[in-house]
Amino acid sequence: MTDPDAPMDVLPGSLSVVRPAGSGANGGFETFIKITADGSVTAFNGHVDLGTGIRTALGQIVAEELDVSFARVVVVLGDTSVVPDQGATIASETIQITAVPLRNAAAQARHFLVAQAAQRLELAVEDLFIEDGLIRGRDNRSVSYGELISGETIRIDLKDDVPVKAVSAYGIVGQSVPRTDLPAKATGELVYVHDVRVPSMLHGRVVRPPYAGVDAGAFVGTSLIAVDKASVRDIPGLVAVVRIGDFIGVVAEREENAVKAAAQLKVSWKPTPTLPDLKDIETALRANPSTPRTLIDKGNVDAAIAAAAKPMPRTYIWPYQMHGSIGPSCAVADYREGAVRVWSGTQNPHILRADLALLLQRPEREIDVIRLEAAGCYGRNCADDVTADAVLLSRAVGRPVRVQLTREQEHAWEPKGTAQLMEVNGGLNADGSVAGYDFATRYPSNGAPTLALLLTGAVAPVPAVFEMGDRTAIPPYDYDAIRVVAHDMPPIVRASWFRGVSAPPNTFAHESYIDELATEAGVDPIEYRLRYLKDERAVDLVNAVAERAGWTPRPVRKEPAAEGDIVRGRGFAYALYVHSKFPGYGAAWSAWIADVAVNKTTGDVSVTRVVAGQDSGLMINPDGVRHQIHGNVIQSTSRALMEEVSFDRHAVTAREWGAYPIIKFPDVPRIDVLMLPRQDQPPLGVGESASVPSAAAIANAIFDATGVRFRELPFTPERILAGLRGAQGVAPAPMPLAPPQPPASTDRWKNPFAGRRGAVATAAALCVAVVGVASAVLPWRSIAPIARPDASTWSAATIARGQQLAALGDCAVCHTVANGAINAGGRAIETPFGIIYATNITPDVETGIGAWSYPAFERAMREGIHRDGRHLYPAFPYTHFAKTSDADLQALYAFLMAQPAVRAETPANTLAFPFNLRPLMAGWNALFHQSGAFQPDASQSATWNRGAYLVEGLGHCGACHSPRNALGAEKASAHLAGGFAEGWEAPPLTSLSHAPIPWSEDELYAYLRTGESRLHGVAAGPMAPVVKALAALPDQDIRAMAVYLTSFNDAAMDEPARHALGARLEKSTGARVVSASPVGARLYEGACAVCHAVGGAPLFGSRPSLALNSNLHSAVPDNLIQVILHGIAAPVSSDLGYMPAFKDSMNDAQIAELVTYLRRQFAPGKPVWTGVRAAVHLARHRISR
Amino acid sequence: MTQSTIRLTVNGRIHDIDAAADTALLYVLRNDLELNGPKYGCGLGECGACAVLIDGVAARACVIPIEGCVGRDIVTLEGLGSRCNPDPVQQAFIAEQAAQCGYCLNGMIISTKALLNRTPHPSEADVIEALRFNLCRCGAHIEIMRAAMRAAGHLVGAANR
Repeated sequence: MTDPDAPMDVLPGSLSVVRPAGSGANGGFETFIKITADGSVTAFNGHVDLGTGIRTALGQIVAEELDVSFARVVVVLGDTSVVPDQGATIASETIQITAVPLRNAAAQARHFLVAQAAQRLELAVEDLFIEDGLIRGRDNRSVSYGELISGETIRIDLKDDVPVKAVSAYGIVGQSVPRTDLPAKATGELVYVHDVRVPSMLHGRVVRPPYAGVDAGAFVGTSLIAVDKASVRDIPGLVAVVRIGDFIGVVAEREENAVKAAAQLKVSWKPTPTLPDLKDIETALRANPSTPRTLIDKGNVDAAIAAAAKPMPRTYIWPYQMHGSIGPSCAVADYREGAVRVWSGTQNPHILRADLALLLQRPEREIDVIRLEAAGCYGRNCADDVTADAVLLSRAVGRPVRVQLTREQEHAWEPKGTAQLMEVNGGLNADGSVAGYDFATRYPSNGAPTLALLLTGAVAPVPAVFEMGDRTAIPPYDYDAIRVVAHDMPPIVRASWFRGVSAPPNTFAHESYIDELATEAGVDPIEYRLRYLKDERAVDLVNAVAERAGWTPRPVRKEPAAEGDIVRGRGFAYALYVHSKFPGYGAAWSAWIADVAVNKTTGDVSVTRVVAGQDSGLMINPDGVRHQIHGNVIQSTSRALMEEVSFDRHAVTAREWGAYPIIKFPDVPRIDVLMLPRQDQPPLGVGESASVPSAAAIANAIFDATGVRFRELPFTPERILAGLRGAQGVAPAPMPLAPPQPPASTDRWKNPFAGRRGAVATAAALCVAVVGVASAVLPWRSIAPIARPDASTWSAATIARGQQLAALGDCAVCHTVANGAINAGGRAIETPFGIIYATNITPDVETGIGAWSYPAFERAMREGIHRDGRHLYPAFPYTHFAKTSDADLQALYAFLMAQPAVRAETPANTLAFPFNLRPLMAGWNALFHQSGAFQPDASQSATWNRGAYLVEGLGHCGACHSPRNALGAEKASAHLAGGFAEGWEAPPLTSLSHAPIPWSEDELYAYLRTGESRLHGVAAGPMAPVVKALAALPDQDIRAMAVYLTSFNDAAMDEPARHALGARLEKSTGARVVSASPVGARLYEGACAVCHAVGGAPLFGSRPSLALNSNLHSAVPDNLIQVILHGIAAPVSSDLGYMPAFKDSMNDAQIAELVTYLRRQFAPGKPVWTGVRAAVHLARHRISR
Repeated sequence: MTQSTIRLTVNGRIHDIDAAADTALLYVLRNDLELNGPKYGCGLGECGACAVLIDGVAARACVIPIEGCVGRDIVTLEGLGSRCNPDPVQQAFIAEQAAQCGYCLNGMIISTKALLNRTPHPSEADVIEALRFNLCRCGAHIEIMRAAMRAAGHLVGAANR
């Protein structure tokens, strides 16, 4: 399978340029160029296109050297069965290093063909010229490459010393060529690795351990206690649950079922060890064991610094950051004995193949890694991990398996771009020159072994130490006394290279420090650099960029004129990215001038403009270089301004884009790219260079604007504010404190045994006493069973009317289990007294109400007595149903009896003593139940009375919306004044409403009819199915309910005034409240604003306005917490759209931050909620529905 | 979840899908209909990689169950146009070379299309707002903005013809 000719021999002949393959390739050879008799050219390169456009650039190089048109060249990248092994695609090496043999191969092929043509045409080589593969000479003599090759199979051995074209002769290289991949990408025709489908492919998901993002330590691979396979028994099409060490995967026929299985699988793990506190990176990195490696030691550094007139020790800190691929990694594997194929988005196909061979204990030659494009990775992401996952699952099930990592898994487990600590000791001499420069850097990162190797125990979880902290560790300045030491150290959490590796942090320190020196010396920072910069191309670049940006010398910082809260500044930084093994190679030179605007009140930093200059040597595809510079500027600005991975003491906590924000369109700077014309110089890598000066240029600009030096990234509003306050010698301004919060509603259902023992005992005793009396007076008896009545007993009209009434009464809402048969019961209803299971009310004779006569039914509805004489619990709201008219009860009975009978036993209730004693309910009824039918109020309109009948009767609104006493009875004194149900607050329907805008009849009508009121929000939680059921009722009944409920409210405000108030509230809460939680603000912006920001672009579904939402204005945060945790999967209507559940993407602390932020931001007049985190914890662990 | 056939109209064609009603539209588009345009990015509606048009409005297919799509008109990137016959928005993105890895491109094009559906002559601020919640990690924002602005102009031209 190492012979690339094998599958392509359909054409008669070919010319290949090859070299013998390295070890493991079974004596075959590697092909670089292949030209077939039809004149088409295929170029093979071991690197891969990570979205940077190298496929296009390599095609240009080959076309140029071969003298064929660009369109004739197909570039094959990264398939281990056909491309040469050229190592991993890292460090901007492709153009500088990997392209060299390809270019030589193309040139060699040209020389060979021209020589052949000279013979064939009987002309001297010098007299021939080539046009797109056609070799021509005088007398119209010509022959094409294809004709020369004809039926022959020609192989030429690749040479290292091949004469290649002079740059002056270039016609294709150096010209901007459109990317070849974009038309297919823009139309959905390109097959990314995510899009691979092979016959009989299954779908897998993995379940990762709780030590998320940590890959070293004895617990890695040894923490799994048990996997409960029975917990996923009900998943349709589940094929396998696979467990090897700490590796767990599920495989299903359909992807959504693999997703469900992974979420539902019950797994127990050992406790996760404690991590160092990564909120304090400096301490954590200093404590991490390290080995010093001196990179340069020139002059007597210690003496020079000791003699400095002004010593300036400084420390700079870089945070953990994410690669943040937009597409979580994905792979497909097809494991067969002796032939394993994987489709992968890997950066390093050959290295991955070796990993897979180790994992599977199979020889490399049996494994074919086919590299397809994936989402940009910018370094080592989870592409290799997921490939190994897929292989393990495919081997387990014997069929091809596709594994897609989730967003949460990619965020948590991708090998992070590591935090880094840079210390500079140095200072100024009296004349303002640099006394000495003693630089130390700590980079706790390695190559991040492929995860499955660690989880399965194939590789010991002992962290390797990589020597990669040295990239651009030596500053570009020619200081007389300089020492640079890289403290090589193992990772603390899983970490590996990320664009620029250690160069951006090192440069952040170098370029901030020299700015600090210039400030202290009273010299313009660019002029100061030029005193020490000896590299001529660097000097040219610095001068060119300064000129382009219109840099004005600033030897002394001047306080800028403030524009309101905004101050502006400008900063410079320069870097030569040095990559690969020390001392490495220089890639393109890069220099930045950044303009920033800093809001001194909010702390927001905006990078408004960047002049990015670059000397890239020969630019193969200048447009491609420009796009790379744009990409680097934008991504590195994002890294500097906002990117920082959050951890708790066990794992990574940032698992979605709210917790790890990246730059968005409104924050993208204007970019002016300056590309130095150096087409006569060798080409240099351009994939990373422009990222390197970023952080320092921005920090220097912030200093210019504010006079405050920031030595730690990212430049978040809270860090800037803290710095500004510190600089001004002012203690942090106290946040305006909200008035103390009133105690949470005492009407909440609480477990009466938790704290109200005395009251409950009294009440229970009272019930017992009353029951004694009641049983004597009213001995409840069984009503004889009947044969199930035939549906034809009733008219269609009666049944139809009964159907409406059943909808009004929400029978099916409580009496149907999720996804179960309608009204067949079994749904668990959580009450403070225990769990009550709703009964089967289908007309099944044995398990339902099929044997119930109408009198038995009526007695249950009016008195709460089962047909057999048992008391029913008032979770069944007979206290309301009693108000129903006889005619309506008969219609309801008719409807229920006319439905299909479903046999379903109801599970036994699990109630605590004494509530498990049904006879006590007699006493309860005597105390709290009035069984009289509805009595209209003659002083009110007919519509009001109709509404009252619906609301107070079958509608049983008070069952949730009225507070209850210790025995679970609605408090008559606080009718509809707000209650709790199933972990949700049922808000007050009276003038006690928390809504910022009073409810009106029209808004109530809209809410009950459609599930949404523009001025209040959408129905969610237990209210959504209620409104959904109300769809069966005619408009006039909904109107009547609205009229009746409105009569409880102060309805003084007219419609225009309500909407005007709404607009005012939205406007006033549109600007960020400075004191609100910055973490919460970012979570909102990343997770919520897309659907909730006022004035945002329309998306499918409604756009509920948080400023107006009653739940944000309530006394308790419960509904807000519930909806964030669980989302809205079943809205009243699909027109309202859906809300995702965030419970698996945010932890309790994050949701608490978000909830606190939302309250402060959108209900600024209301007191802050207390105990939010505990409430989140409670809500998360309630019985999920 | 009880399984029943759900009828979807995608890119003008009717499909009867045998999947649970709560299945995310994205999985059905990708796996049952083998459409590659919409991509899985976050599963939370945050990033926009999965965008499709539902009744002409941008929608995040990763958070919308198929039961909510019955009777609606769904259009994916493939439904806009092809390499041979691209939609003007697709053409504008190709002309401006508006992608690096291209994974977010689907969402960018769909969001631009949705914007132009409702605002044929958007301002630059309109375009920024329309793309605000579409994440791009490669930093192709400048080219994407240019493409969206070009598409706006292009469509104006087409309408005038």
